[in-house]
Amino acid sequence: MHFITGGAFNGKSRWVIEHYELNDPTYLWISAYEGMSIPAHTDNWIDIVILEGLEKWIQEWSSQLSSHEVRENWRSFLQIWLKWEKESEQRKLILIGTDLSKGIVPMIAEERKWRDVTGWVYQDVAASAEKFDLIWYGISQKIK
Amino acid sequence: MAEEQSSLIFISGGVRSGKSSFAERLAIDIARRTAGNLHYIAAGQASDPEMKERIIRHQKDRLASGLNWTTWEQPINIKALSGAFQTKDIVLLDCLTTLLNNEFFAVDGQWKNASFQERVMDSIMNGIEEITTCCRAFIVVSNEVLNESIGENELVVTYSKMLGELHQHVVAIAKQAYLVEAGVPILMKEVDAIC
Repeated sequence: MHFITGGAFNGKSRWVIEHYELNDPTYLWISAYEGMSIPAHTDNWIDIVILEGLEKWIQEWSSQLSSHEVRENWRSFLQIWLKWEKESEQRKLILIGTDLSKGIVPMIAEERKWRDVTGWVYQDVAASAEKFDLIWYGISQKIK
Repeated sequence: MAEEQSSLIFISGGVRSGKSSFAERLAIDIARRTAGNLHYIAAGQASDPEMKERIIRHQKDRLASGLNWTTWEQPINIKALSGAFQTKDIVLLDCLTTLLNNEFFAVDGQWKNASFQERVMDSIMNGIEEITTCCRAFIVVSNEVLNESIGENELVVTYSKMLGELHQHVVAIAKQAYLVEAGVPILMKEVDAIC
């Protein structure tokens, strides 16, 4: 699994498309920005799967569940996805999440919670990632 | 041939990261080596006493360098300045976020209009490209503001998207790009050494 993070509008998706040379329809792009829900199963997945907008899905959960539950739920989803990836050499899982961690502490409790839990989930994602890149205006910095 | 090259250098960093001081040091370095004149494009307008103080502090710093800087106050349309520079000059713009801000709000209520947004982006990018080609080195300073939740506010989302895209364009054509963290510049991109 390859985790990609960086600030908003920094060219993360474009970098993924270029890096993996994704120009034919042999990949599945699941985007929270387009209102798609977080995949609970991998039934219709094809060899290359990109999950984009992790922070949006985390926000949805964060408004309904405790921080602890969000993190636990995410871990169990992550297990399902990673298990799918391990089943075949061809398979690639790419997760893209926007960094929310470097601003002023939000005034609203709900937003603080979202920001905190996003940070924790990203730590879990990064820990189980094989590769981890930080994108800064289209330039990648290899973290792992 | 190398001496006739023009170079675009992008420098970004958080609040009080020392990005402006680094940009000035870099400009002075190049000026000492190439005997070019130093120009400073100030996009900021003094809107309150703190801002005024900050501008004066930066002016003093530049005076203390012992080199002669020419200051241009140009809140919008930087392209208009391109005729003022010579091929061996070093030009510093501080900063791109302020310039975008000024252009963005230059015409009341227009920011929502997609073609206005496009014109703003084109105007800024054309200005940057134009100045880059007519001087020795053009150093563009900007801010790191995209690593926090942008929220749902249309104005903030639009501004952030435009700033992010501008930064991507500038980095793509820059010879060097630096991220300054607590006074320490990190070289993120280098196509050619700047001589």
